[in-house]
Amino acid sequence: MIEKMLNSRLAQWLDERSNIVQMTRAHVTDYPTPKNLNYMWSFGSLAMLVLVIQILSGIFLAMFYKPSAVMTMGGYSVAFDSVERIMRDVNFGWLIRYMHAVGASAFFIVVYMHIGRGLYYGSYKGPRELLWMIGVVILLIMQGAAFFGYLLPWGQMSFWGATVITNLFGALPVIGSFLQELLRGGFSVGDPTLNRFFALHYLFPLLLAAIVGGHVHALHVVHSNNPTGIDVHEGKGTIPFHPYYTVKDAFGVGVFLIAYCYVVFFHPQMGGYFIEVDNYAPANNLQTPAHIAPVWYLTPWYTILRSFENKLLGVIAMGASLGILFLLPFLDRSKVRSARYRPVYRQMVVMFFLAVVVLGYCGHSATSPTLKVIGQLATAYYFAFFLFLPFVHKFEKTKPLPEGI
Amino acid sequence: MAEDKVDSRRRNFLWGIASGLGAAGAASVAVPFVRSMLPAADTMAVSTTEFDLKTLVPGQLVVIAWQGKPVFVVHRTEAMLKRLPEYEYKLKDPESLADPRVQADWMKTPEQRLTRAIKPEYLVLIANCTHLGCIPLFKPSPGQAEWGSSVPEDWPGGWHCPCHGSLYDLAGRVIEGSPAPFNLYTVPYKYLSDTKILIG
Repeated sequence: MIEKMLNSRLAQWLDERSNIVQMTRAHVTDYPTPKNLNYMWSFGSLAMLVLVIQILSGIFLAMFYKPSAVMTMGGYSVAFDSVERIMRDVNFGWLIRYMHAVGASAFFIVVYMHIGRGLYYGSYKGPRELLWMIGVVILLIMQGAAFFGYLLPWGQMSFWGATVITNLFGALPVIGSFLQELLRGGFSVGDPTLNRFFALHYLFPLLLAAIVGGHVHALHVVHSNNPTGIDVHEGKGTIPFHPYYTVKDAFGVGVFLIAYCYVVFFHPQMGGYFIEVDNYAPANNLQTPAHIAPVWYLTPWYTILRSFENKLLGVIAMGASLGILFLLPFLDRSKVRSARYRPVYRQMVVMFFLAVVVLGYCGHSATSPTLKVIGQLATAYYFAFFLFLPFVHKFEKTKPLPEGI
Repeated sequence: MAEDKVDSRRRNFLWGIASGLGAAGAASVAVPFVRSMLPAADTMAVSTTEFDLKTLVPGQLVVIAWQGKPVFVVHRTEAMLKRLPEYEYKLKDPESLADPRVQADWMKTPEQRLTRAIKPEYLVLIANCTHLGCIPLFKPSPGQAEWGSSVPEDWPGGWHCPCHGSLYDLAGRVIEGSPAPFNLYTVPYKYLSDTKILIG
């Protein structure tokens, strides 16, 4: 059917003026893809799907949301009330808001799986260094968008989360207080902060869409990695993207949507993991909630921050833990990509995944002396992974690579 | 392995049913999004307006809001009502038959068609000119004495729209020569008590 569409007179007319058929063939239907991709390769297209869900549901929420911290007659704020109006009065507002809130968590689940896939199979290694680095930029923008978005309901967690994070920037030497006032537009988080966070929350996904375009473009220049990590030459080990991977991705989308819809309809708050219970209390600048933690997808970095006694050191470590991801392609000097054939790296990277999960757990729990030590150990391993990586190739005995796939 | 042959009929059936269901699923997602843009529950809750006619003195006009739209409520005097039939020969649609929007369920008798009101003295109409939606000016006294040349010499009293010059009589009926196509639209309303009306 697609072949018929591409050969239609309309398509030919468009093609003569825009190259569209040629581009569709080169990048979608005939795009040569390794024939052995497993389901871990589904998360890229899933991430794009979730981005579309977030932008779509977000545009509709913006039709009803009001970014104002001005107090209303009921003693709440305009922003808080407008979210409650979405939940109670707007037709299907509850559905659209839960789609957006669950979508945020789903986005991070999908993207963390996608990053984990890249780490395990060595997708970050040459010639895909730039592709990886664009991906890290996407992660940072996502975290920014999530942070800005979390302030908008103007609940207790929104307010104190934003207070804590903007204080982080304040801890930086020289430019700290300038940055802090730039973010807040005042001496504390308040109405101007809410207004600009809304503007930025609307901007970031558009940036994201553009950079995702760059990510896909970079991918199509260097082509997909595969579970063996060996170079695949066109013809022998590849098959056209359509119908094999369009169908495989569509199946992945089906499985994802079943899980996503189940959560949206039956557990939209996911026991306080996706929407924190304290955020249903309106923001109060005179009282901090008893237990405050970021949403789950930011907790690993929050633990790294908390692991240092020195405030500045913690902030630097947190920044470094994300920044070091840019260097990963250059730290790893092994000639073999996939962890399948790298026994030492394989153990290291699995431990790394565990460490991130432990960091996440520690960051979500209330502080205790034991958890603090565990968090510090996990933090130590997080950085050790990267510091150790340049030396692994010197002693690692890699397994023989297959001739082809 | 003779079974290896492709049965394209079955394959096409699966393609069709899978992509059909996928398309139907995607299309049904549009329902909540489109519905969300229609009036919300709190908007619907204020879709009626109550008004107490006792607050009007004879001859007075008020403009009140109903669902965000302006509504004329006029307390017409005996003299005003008496003038209504005299001018009918110059009206486009004296019996309000041209369009469903200028009629009402209760508008049955010739007298009701003349006064366009449940109780003759109280007129309730949508205040937007049927031409392009401006609110016409209330010019109740007959002739040009009070209004100058903005109204014709034989002016029976009524409304004059400042935007494009449409003229209506004191029952909101449009006068020949106006750009407006219809009489002023009616509003659904009923009497809750002798003097209280519920609009909507």
